[in-house]
Amino acid sequence: MTSTLATTDLRKAFGGVTALDGATVEFQHGKVNALIGPNGSGKTTFFNCVTGMIKPDSGTVTYDGRDITGKAPHTIARHGMGRTFQLCRTFPRMTALENVLAAVPVGGLLAGLRGAKRRSEIDRAISWLTRLGIEHLAGSEARDMSWGQQKLLELAGVLMSEPETVLLDEPAGGVNPALLDRIGLLVRELNAEGRTFVIVEHNMDLVMSISDHIVVFDRGRPIASGPPSVIRTDEKVLGAYLGV
Amino acid sequence: MLNASRALKAGAILLLAAGILAFPSLAPNPYILSVGVLVLNYAALSTSWNFVGGFTGYISLGHGALAGLGAYGTGLLVAKGGLPPFLALFAGATLVAALAVPIGFAALRVRGASFVIVSISLVLILLLIFQSWASVTGGSRGLVVPRPFDLSRPEHHRVFYYLFAGLLALALLVWWLIDRSRFGLGLKSIREDEDKAEALGTATYAYKLIVFVVSAFFTALTGGLYALWFGDLDPVFQFSILTGSYLVLMALLGGVRQLFGPVVGAIIVGTALEYFKGAYGDTPLHLVATGLLLALVVLFMPDGVLPAVADLFKRFDRTQSSSIREVTASELRDERLKKAEGAAR
Amino acid sequence: MPSGALLFQSVLLGLLLGGLYALLASGLTLYFGIMRVVMIAHSAFLILAAYLAWWLHDQAGIDPLLSMIGTVPLFFLAGVGLQRALLTRLRPATLTMMSVLLTFAIALLIEGLLGYAFSGTQRRINLGYGSASLEVLGARVAVVKLIAFGLAVVALTTLYLLMKKTRFGWALRATIQHRDAARLLGIDTDRVAGFGFGIGLATAAVGGTALSLDTTIYPSLHWHWIGPLMAIIVVGGLGSVPGAAIAALVLGMAQSLLQIPMGTTWAQTVFYVALFATLAFRPQGFFGGRLAQRF
Repeated sequence: MTSTLATTDLRKAFGGVTALDGATVEFQHGKVNALIGPNGSGKTTFFNCVTGMIKPDSGTVTYDGRDITGKAPHTIARHGMGRTFQLCRTFPRMTALENVLAAVPVGGLLAGLRGAKRRSEIDRAISWLTRLGIEHLAGSEARDMSWGQQKLLELAGVLMSEPETVLLDEPAGGVNPALLDRIGLLVRELNAEGRTFVIVEHNMDLVMSISDHIVVFDRGRPIASGPPSVIRTDEKVLGAYLGV
Repeated sequence: MLNASRALKAGAILLLAAGILAFPSLAPNPYILSVGVLVLNYAALSTSWNFVGGFTGYISLGHGALAGLGAYGTGLLVAKGGLPPFLALFAGATLVAALAVPIGFAALRVRGASFVIVSISLVLILLLIFQSWASVTGGSRGLVVPRPFDLSRPEHHRVFYYLFAGLLALALLVWWLIDRSRFGLGLKSIREDEDKAEALGTATYAYKLIVFVVSAFFTALTGGLYALWFGDLDPVFQFSILTGSYLVLMALLGGVRQLFGPVVGAIIVGTALEYFKGAYGDTPLHLVATGLLLALVVLFMPDGVLPAVADLFKRFDRTQSSSIREVTASELRDERLKKAEGAAR
Repeated sequence: MPSGALLFQSVLLGLLLGGLYALLASGLTLYFGIMRVVMIAHSAFLILAAYLAWWLHDQAGIDPLLSMIGTVPLFFLAGVGLQRALLTRLRPATLTMMSVLLTFAIALLIEGLLGYAFSGTQRRINLGYGSASLEVLGARVAVVKLIAFGLAVVALTTLYLLMKKTRFGWALRATIQHRDAARLLGIDTDRVAGFGFGIGLATAAVGGTALSLDTTIYPSLHWHWIGPLMAIIVVGGLGSVPGAAIAALVLGMAQSLLQIPMGTTWAQTVFYVALFATLAFRPQGFFGGRLAQRF
């Protein structure tokens, strides 16, 4: 088992409320990892600490053996970690194509002055839009798209930045069953191509069907981890969920 | 349909350019010509403002102060430093751009609110300094900047009219280049959703800082040119909170997401401003009108005049072609490529 | 080295000034906490209240302190109206920026209308007790300054009790801390936000009255106040009321003390120096609002 993204003793408190209480977690490289837990168990805070959106009070985050604790989000993104947001976020007044193109990392200042719409990149962007089935919307502004289409668009943008690890925050939130199946399938496909996934999700059907490794959070720290078959029967997990 | 609207756009731009260039020969007297110079000055300033406001969505109310710094920088370098006028102009603007680095460093580290606060504070503190530090700046007695050319009054206006037009063209060109670059796409993504942009790998802080410095450079250049044209600087006018609000009003009224938005806004607001000044003199009603207009634009037309007009055309278009939204990917690719090739030639 | 008496006098005056700053900054902080709005027009309303006090005194001989009976409720209503009728119209995505412009526009409007109605002439209330002063341990302090400070203390204490002890205060604090959660608790956050704005403007009415007691006023005076006030709320940590109060006292004191070696004009720069230093080295402010990091 090789580890890719790992944290040790991560702590974060907001005012008097402890969101993360010494979270030590290891995710498996090349696998679909899921992070589950009751509401308020610190999953999103954990995500935000890992991706640099907020700085943990203490503890470390390592990625590929490198310490990335407290680094800026864009630096972490460039290390190969891409993320989606809990309530899907796109650039509302940019077209779908521009949304995806905006994810191309700019090397240096001079490279930034090149035209934004170069052929090779447009081709790559369109192929991602095609793969997610929204290429017919390439010229539409994101704000005119439906919720499900925006979710797919957000994912296309993240994939455009060629991340080795993809973090999805509630990919099933607010989407219809048909789209849910498609997202599940897509995750498995993309995983088969070598991408590692870390997914925060409430939908247990989705989690149990697509993940290889599950970490369960309760009150700001992991209480169990293992394959779905083990987690399903773990008493601590049941206790956390049922409040026993 | 797309081609027709593009031709319309090109026609409008050509008309605007021709009108601007022909104005000096049409102006009936030097006063009207000087109003033309002022309007171009405003157009160049609000276009410079739009590097920050339009791309990143950060509203600066302090660009009047950056223009004032450029004016005093140029003026002092000529009057006290003995530099040749146009060398002083570029040296002054470069100094202001350098000063914009620490200002931006403090103002842009966190999100919007602090930026606005710093921008207003900049005007207030510079007014304080330039009024009080009379031994260097001349204080409220003003600073006289020697004229660069020995010309009659109408000729002086005419030459500076074209200098301002050239500067405006340069600012527009740079804005256009950034608009279509990857750097520009990154800036616009900051405007749309800064967290998201950063999560996608955009170094948002550096982006904002760079474009702020570029904006400051052009603003200071325009301010410096004003100093050489007008020849007399007074801190009360150079570091006036009103100048900054005029620029915002112009850009917003015209449309901040449009290349020519600020120019159109400057022509409308600048002309009105000078007309009312001529007809009624300086009254507090200026403030009332500016305040009212700004409030109305913010509340009812935050995207500006140009997009409103464009929407009107689009609605007119839609009656003929069923949908202009649905463009297939291949069509889109072809169109973009054509555009890219056209630009490369 | 300045004499001990002079220093003591400056400390005392700084404290009195800081009290007024604290009251006004608390209003500004309240708006920011509730809606993430930097209310540029706050100090314009301050000057408006001062003008109303002067006008009532000039026309009808009413003591400025009595004018508060009218101005405080009036400003409260204006604040509620401003929030409900105008600010809620703005798109949430661009609220912070556009609200700055909107309140800026309102500030220009007020300044322009004051200039139109009362001309740009400098005005001052001549009170019977205007020149009276007390001697406190060798320092001379004008009675009107003490009254102004007293007003600030009373208003701040009322605000504090309102926030901490009443049900409305609880709802207000909940709205500031987490709007969505507050809504889940059954709080009508829009209504609370409107009242919050009203209270904010009411502090401007009190502050304006206090100001009118011993200050020469003119329409553009509000720019001299908004700069220091904005600096105070940033240094204190955006959204933190106690932070703003502490920063107000510290900076008011610093301004007063720096006047001895630097003179009144240059002493004002202390606010801007503090503002830049805070943003450059500790953008979340020194008395940490949780919100500050994000704005």
